[in-house]
Amino acid sequence: MPLTPQLRRALEDIVGPAGLVVSAEGRLTYECDMHTFYKGTPDAVVLPESAAQVAAIVRLCRREHVPIVPRGSGTGLIGGAMAPEGGVMVSMTRMNRVVELDFPNRCATVQPGLINLWLSQATRDRGYFFAPDPSSQMVSSIGGNASTNAGGPHCLKYGITVNHVLGLEVVTGAGELVQLGGKTHERPGYDLTGVMVGAEGTLGLITGVIVRLTHLPEGVKTILASFSSIEDASEAVSAIIRAGIIPAALEMLDEVVIRAIEEGVGAGYPKGAGAVLLIELDGPIAEIEAQSGPIETICRDHLALEIRVAQSEAERALLWKGRKEAAGVFGRLTPNWLLQDAVVPRSKLPQIMKEVAAIGARHRLVIANVFHAGDGNLHPLICYDDRAPGELERAKQANEELLAACLALGGSVTGEHGVGLDKRASLPMQFADADLSFMARLRRVFDPDSIMNPGKLLPSHPACGEGFRPAARPLPAGTWI
Amino acid sequence: MAVSAGAVHEALADIAGREHCLREAPALARYAIDGMMPSLVVRPATADEVSRVVALCAAERLALAPRGAGTSIGLGNPPRRLDVVLDLGRMHAVREYVPEDMVATVEAGATLDALAAHFAPHRQALTLDPPGGGTRSVGGVLATHASGPLRFRYGTGRDLLLGARFVQADGTLTWGGAKVVKSVTGYDVPKLLVGSLGTLGVLVEVTLRLHPMPPASRNWRLGFPSREAAAVFLAGLLDSPLQPDRAALLDAAGLARAGLAVDAIGLLLSIGSAPEAVEHQGRALARLAAGHGGRSEEVPDAAWAGLGPTVDGPLLLRVTGEPRRLLDWVGEAHAAAARAGVEVMVLAQPGHGVLQLSVGEGFDAARVVTHLVRPLRSALEAEGGSLVVERAPAELKARCDVWGAIQPDILAIMERIKTEFDPAGVLNPGRFVGGL
Repeated sequence: MPLTPQLRRALEDIVGPAGLVVSAEGRLTYECDMHTFYKGTPDAVVLPESAAQVAAIVRLCRREHVPIVPRGSGTGLIGGAMAPEGGVMVSMTRMNRVVELDFPNRCATVQPGLINLWLSQATRDRGYFFAPDPSSQMVSSIGGNASTNAGGPHCLKYGITVNHVLGLEVVTGAGELVQLGGKTHERPGYDLTGVMVGAEGTLGLITGVIVRLTHLPEGVKTILASFSSIEDASEAVSAIIRAGIIPAALEMLDEVVIRAIEEGVGAGYPKGAGAVLLIELDGPIAEIEAQSGPIETICRDHLALEIRVAQSEAERALLWKGRKEAAGVFGRLTPNWLLQDAVVPRSKLPQIMKEVAAIGARHRLVIANVFHAGDGNLHPLICYDDRAPGELERAKQANEELLAACLALGGSVTGEHGVGLDKRASLPMQFADADLSFMARLRRVFDPDSIMNPGKLLPSHPACGEGFRPAARPLPAGTWI
Repeated sequence: MAVSAGAVHEALADIAGREHCLREAPALARYAIDGMMPSLVVRPATADEVSRVVALCAAERLALAPRGAGTSIGLGNPPRRLDVVLDLGRMHAVREYVPEDMVATVEAGATLDALAAHFAPHRQALTLDPPGGGTRSVGGVLATHASGPLRFRYGTGRDLLLGARFVQADGTLTWGGAKVVKSVTGYDVPKLLVGSLGTLGVLVEVTLRLHPMPPASRNWRLGFPSREAAAVFLAGLLDSPLQPDRAALLDAAGLARAGLAVDAIGLLLSIGSAPEAVEHQGRALARLAAGHGGRSEEVPDAAWAGLGPTVDGPLLLRVTGEPRRLLDWVGEAHAAAARAGVEVMVLAQPGHGVLQLSVGEGFDAARVVTHLVRPLRSALEAEGGSLVVERAPAELKARCDVWGAIQPDILAIMERIKTEFDPAGVLNPGRFVGGL
């Protein structure tokens, strides 16, 4: 849809000329998120500086029936912060301040564009941090984290973003600017904050976030255990959880990823190992010491080749560097890839890893694995080359089979990345028509005109039941029926 | 009732069996809500039966109240209408439990005590412990967003509920969430149901995250000579890396009622971890308390059971303010209670800013509303807090909204949600916020 001169003027009136991007080159920067497979350039990008401006933008777009797409740092992996139907993209990068640090209440109020890691850096000296730590935390925004309900390695112990959001300032799709939740931990009424987190901008735009701050643990211990096979490593993960130990993080890397990381950033991972477990314990030092012994024993019992404990903060940072930057070395592995984010019950880890290997072999594809083993959240990276005839099709087929295998074990389509455009067609694998219809109706409550991030999060098939009919909207004058 | 009670009774008896469909006055009296008697009580045994019961009520425009163990049936405004009580007590099975996954799927009518007994042999626990709540149903605990001392480490039902099967107001059996510990597929529908008092759907089956029981656990009672001393200690505790798993704060009356040694303010804390870590943290805790004029003593695990009686009065208020102001609100509550001519007993959740004020028999409802509920509520609302009347005689409920006012813009959204999913007002009409 082309941008009319009137709409352009109205947007400029709201955000000023410096807050409006309409040039073709300028808009191209916003054509996709990190899932570059999906492209859609917005007709205009606005960079508001206040919630009032955001509210004015939503009301304007609502009146004009123009789609709105929110964007934080654009680091999502699901085709979320991109505009398949054009429209107005609202980028939160200019709303990136810490509004208030309230240590006595152990919370912070921030603008949505604030970079995740900045908050932890701003609170570290006082002994606090912001617990959700997606691997993108150096660049991803807290508004984006809340919008996708992002996870991260340490969510195993600390929970995902929604467990750390106390309140939100939101402009709903109906144009209402509202304060949901707040510094107090309970409010009468429906938990609108809980519903808004993870809604991927389909219910409203987040203009402010009140988050919990977590006290830094007394101590941290990072253990690296290498194994000759991913099966042994998977069995070790199950055994650790079975022993009643919940580490702060429990991450797995397979041989393919280890090799790529070593060739790329060089994290000192043991070359030639079939799998590496990165295990982090944090908390009271006496507790860490009591838990690390049994963990090392379990790893040895499962034929660990080597167990290494980081002896300094620098060593610890190096062990993590490889994991956190794993996505960055994928380019070394493959020209193209499909990334899954499915979850299986943690006891099924050994079983699903065998399936993953079998699916890769069946389709003659390399599938690399780097993932949150402790909560069964897989990230199989299906490598393919789109110049090789038929390879994309084989990759897609492998992708489908993998997802089906996870769901057959009682799993979930996505553990932390979200749905976006990428996974919306897979939702019927997890939900029945009635379930999807409930969600579609919930969406309409907040977004009566279907302008909020349209096409994302829910499947759009009309065949999926009456819940998917578009919002009842009066036909414009002059419409022929 | 639009049609005769007799015809509906026949239809419900067809669904759940005659012996599980009650209509005799003495039986019904036990199911009254705020003095209002239902015409019928039905006790279905399966999700499918619940679905058919709700569909029947929707078709006949009957008002239905879901009920777990009935412990918190007093929460909410008096029903606008009440025809049928749906008792989930027969649905108490553990449907799926794989200890290695630390996840369980259970029917909503299962009691916390029964679930604890089921998980204990595997050294796992559902970390929900509303005081005196062992006989409560898990569905009721979630629908009322009830919590207890374990919240300090593990959060509330909001953090533990992974997936939910529920029956919508038109009888549609619906699923939201997932059966794994981590999922962001679609909207987080379970969040919408926690604390919704059954006004959007009847919970029939819930999937919950469990936690491992710590290898060792010990408990301490800390006593402080004044609110001020307790406040400074609490701020120090929260600003430390110490990790209690359970925490409760009581005033002198609460301590006495709980059977604990009495001080102006007392805290009951437990630390669960490896034995040496418990020992180490326990010493640190005692040092911290002593540094703020407090005394500490180790108490047996049974001390926690004493909390139940501190919230069993005929009038129970739930006060939520900013966490850092917890002890201020204890003082405000005492002052307001004195003006209202009553004595309150305080049980609070340190770190979360939540207090429960229990008032014994013999209060004057009008005075309590005028001098306690209203002024305390408006002071709390000034900082984004709230005061909910959790339990009260009908006479008091007639004088004030138990939830307090919801901001009009927020209430408008909640009304749209309720209207979308229950336009006819089948589920608990009138009992929730804003008369929803």
